Amino acid sequence: MNPRPPTPDPRPRGESRKWVGQSMRRREDPRFLSGTARYVDDVKLSGMLHAAILRSPHAHARIVAVNAAAAAALPGVHAVLTGQDVRRLSSPTKPIIPIPIEPQNYCLAVDRVRFVGEPVAAVAAVDRATAEDALDRIDVTYELLEPVVDPEAALRPDAPLLYPDLGHNVVWHDTFAYGDVGGAFAAADLVLSERFTIHRYSSTPLETFGAVAHEDPGTGTITIWSNDGRPGLTSGTVAAALGVSQAQLHLIALDVGGGFGNKRRAAYLILAALLARRARRPVKFLEDRREHLMALMQAANGVMDVEAAVRRDGTVLALRVRDVVDEGNNQVNPTLHSLLKLGNIVNAYGIKAVGFEGTCVLTTKCPSGANRGIGKPFMCFAIERLMDRLAERLGTDPIAIRRKNLIPPEAFPYETPTGALYDSGDFGKTLDAALALAGYEDLCRQRDAARREGRCLGVGMALAVEPGTSNLSSYILTTGRRLTSGAGEAAMVRVEPDGRVRVATGNVGSGQSYETVIPQVVADELGVSPEAVTAAPGFDSFSHPWMFASGNYSNKFSGMDIGAIVGAARKVREKVLAIAGHVLEAPRESLELADGKVMVREDPRRSLTLAQVAEVAYKNLIALPGGSEPGLEARHYYLSPVATIPDAQRRIRAQLIFTNSAHVALVEVDPETGMVAIRKYVVVHDCGTELNPMVVEGLVHGSTVHGIGGTLLEEFVYNEQGQILTTSFMDYLKPTSLDVPDIDIGHLETPSPFTALGAKGVGEGGSIPAPACLASAVEDALRHLGVRVNDLPLTPRRVWELIQGARAVAPGPA
Amino acid sequence: MARRTIRLTVNGRAVSGEVEPRRSLADFLREDLDLTGTHVGCEHGVCGACTVLLEGEPVRSCLLFAAQLDGAEITTVEGLAPAGGGLHPVQEAFWERHALQCGFCTPGMLLTAVALLRRNPRPTEAEVRSELSGNLCMCTGYLNIISAVRLAAERLAGAAGAGGQGPGAGRQ
Repeated sequence: MNPRPPTPDPRPRGESRKWVGQSMRRREDPRFLSGTARYVDDVKLSGMLHAAILRSPHAHARIVAVNAAAAAALPGVHAVLTGQDVRRLSSPTKPIIPIPIEPQNYCLAVDRVRFVGEPVAAVAAVDRATAEDALDRIDVTYELLEPVVDPEAALRPDAPLLYPDLGHNVVWHDTFAYGDVGGAFAAADLVLSERFTIHRYSSTPLETFGAVAHEDPGTGTITIWSNDGRPGLTSGTVAAALGVSQAQLHLIALDVGGGFGNKRRAAYLILAALLARRARRPVKFLEDRREHLMALMQAANGVMDVEAAVRRDGTVLALRVRDVVDEGNNQVNPTLHSLLKLGNIVNAYGIKAVGFEGTCVLTTKCPSGANRGIGKPFMCFAIERLMDRLAERLGTDPIAIRRKNLIPPEAFPYETPTGALYDSGDFGKTLDAALALAGYEDLCRQRDAARREGRCLGVGMALAVEPGTSNLSSYILTTGRRLTSGAGEAAMVRVEPDGRVRVATGNVGSGQSYETVIPQVVADELGVSPEAVTAAPGFDSFSHPWMFASGNYSNKFSGMDIGAIVGAARKVREKVLAIAGHVLEAPRESLELADGKVMVREDPRRSLTLAQVAEVAYKNLIALPGGSEPGLEARHYYLSPVATIPDAQRRIRAQLIFTNSAHVALVEVDPETGMVAIRKYVVVHDCGTELNPMVVEGLVHGSTVHGIGGTLLEEFVYNEQGQILTTSFMDYLKPTSLDVPDIDIGHLETPSPFTALGAKGVGEGGSIPAPACLASAVEDALRHLGVRVNDLPLTPRRVWELIQGARAVAPGPA
Repeated sequence: MARRTIRLTVNGRAVSGEVEPRRSLADFLREDLDLTGTHVGCEHGVCGACTVLLEGEPVRSCLLFAAQLDGAEITTVEGLAPAGGGLHPVQEAFWERHALQCGFCTPGMLLTAVALLRRNPRPTEAEVRSELSGNLCMCTGYLNIISAVRLAAERLAGAAGAGGQGPGAGRQ
């Protein structure tokens, strides 16, 4: 493993970083280890009922009638709701993107169902089993409609329509041109043209989505405990649907068993609240695994047709991309995948011109949604495969072709043609380090030797930018209106009267170790030890600061949350220094914060503990400096300084902070079974300042394994009737401890100039290049059979089919 | 549905309950006994989040009916730590090796590891991987979990080898 280079510290000279950068073990672990953590399903309220949802068995149908009388009559049932009910009892929700017509979306289907698993009716009963018994007594009459499952079929003029008023299934279509695309293609010595496809998969957090809703009959406050990871957005959606103000809606998140972007479903919160209102008792809804796999969300499948204009020396002059995203019945946030592909399309390369035609199409499948990487695993797959193909076409090696095109280190901060501003990085160094750590030449020799023995070994690699922090301004491109913009987070730092420090933010942790890392950061700012700082677990809309951007997505923590936390901590720090300076009668410049005390640097005996400062701030108010506000608390609402809006040329900073990585893999493919075994897997990544290296490494492991599982094992499968065939973990295969290779990790640290501590995102990380890396390796392993990998997944069946397909074209000894 | 009375031992304490025949052991533990450390991840016996020890052997509590467990001895994650305080060596090792992120798979992993190490105090890495393969983790990528179990094995073996019983080593 390469030694870590020293990290430049943007803090004032003389004050060093003591805790940031330490691999401290986690503060939150004891409760998880002892079984005393509290997840949403652990919430128990007096009189609480349990909800069950009746879901459509059809991919596409009109709802003719729903008769729930027998369900309501079942003993133990306290509330039943149908689509007609919720239409009367709630306001419709709107998607982020104005789909050309305004569909009226409610938490239950009203006139039509558009995917298998869509909620049609709901029951609240004394227990889940009784609620499910009641579902059996609800009679729904459907009139079947033609499903449409394939995105390109959904684009045809004769396709079945999900929204007949729309006249087609296209929820968004737009073209973008940056730089002289036409000129580049005209001047090209070579044009490469490839088609790539990706399947549906998702991170499937082990804890499913849930909500417990309670309406207080006295105050009218609606409290909802849920593991929804996007409270900044969900609060407004839920309040509007229920007809209450956000001041009346109390959203609480406790411990969350994994999120990965998947846990967002305002409709379930609305439904639980409507049932609670109807029953006048608290109601809990928790998805079971089948419901989760069928109906929560899936990462979008799609097609990317990519053309590259290339000069004969290997320089890629321009890209033309035609991108089709299959959104399923996504009524919440279509265009998410498209925007993030567009925003990051040149990957690590200095490609000067880009044409992008993006289409988002609806099909009668589960709604697409945010999943680790959102669109970028596909984007990276397409661009990296293109690079491999280009190398082959030009007769050069895949490493050389990439070096030729890498953005050089002196070019940072680097603006890509589409408007992304890459903050910092040294892609060549990352690549070198990965090749060295992997022993790339040696892997190639192993592969060649194995091939001589008749074994199919392959060496593959991929480079990736791993962007973090989504800029809400991106939606200006798709909506044509500025409703949301910018990126940030909110945080509060409070020194309690006894001198301990408390931090709360608008984010919702789901395993990223915030309760450990936040104290490290604040400890450095306030000169205390991390043990003296407590980061509030979970989220509470009534006591945590938050704004629309608040929540868990796009690796924003290292930039946005840290910006807010450092901002708040520095405000508190200034206040501490002002109070101490006044009490100690010393000028501010002479003071230092360390070891839980404020002291005069030249005479440390003149000091106050943080508790003593707090005593003045909270109790001994007349001792405060003149004009000073009592209290020792600050909030900081942070806005990223680099979050701009699209310019007149439609350039957009879709994401703001850029980690980069290189993955190298050695695989062995069994041609008889199609199984891919990973013999070696190496990651070198650069996420800027590592706030806690142990946590970073854990996230690299986890995100890389998501990419491995998504490539080699996982696939949501639908038949032509739109029936989903993968609704349990027996059909949808997750990687186990037997499937994961050892992952050797090298770390580089090129701090970001745009974040408070130079840290960049690391949560999505490995999920982005892993599919490309494995595809590269599998193709290498089967190259001699004539196999080409342009499509994912690479499950055993798919690999076997590729081999059979290649053999059919070129029969003969392998 | 007629309820049945069951009497069993959970974490060393005698408990009883009145359960419908269809009530799973997982639901009985979580809802009737308020032992919410056992988690439900799939309800079809694949993910292992619901793993508890039945007479010391790991079982899927989502696939057992509480009514089957009359007279049984169950250990859940809440029963792992030694009575005097502190943590079981497996818990300690998970903590040290950062073998958990969201924590949802952790109780099942801990109990599976405890049972493994009792049966096989010196497992190879391959054996650890194989024994844990019935427990899904969506967060860690497993590598730190494998490392933690091997660390725990070393420590428990070391404590046993030194002639004394390490903390928790004599349990179950």
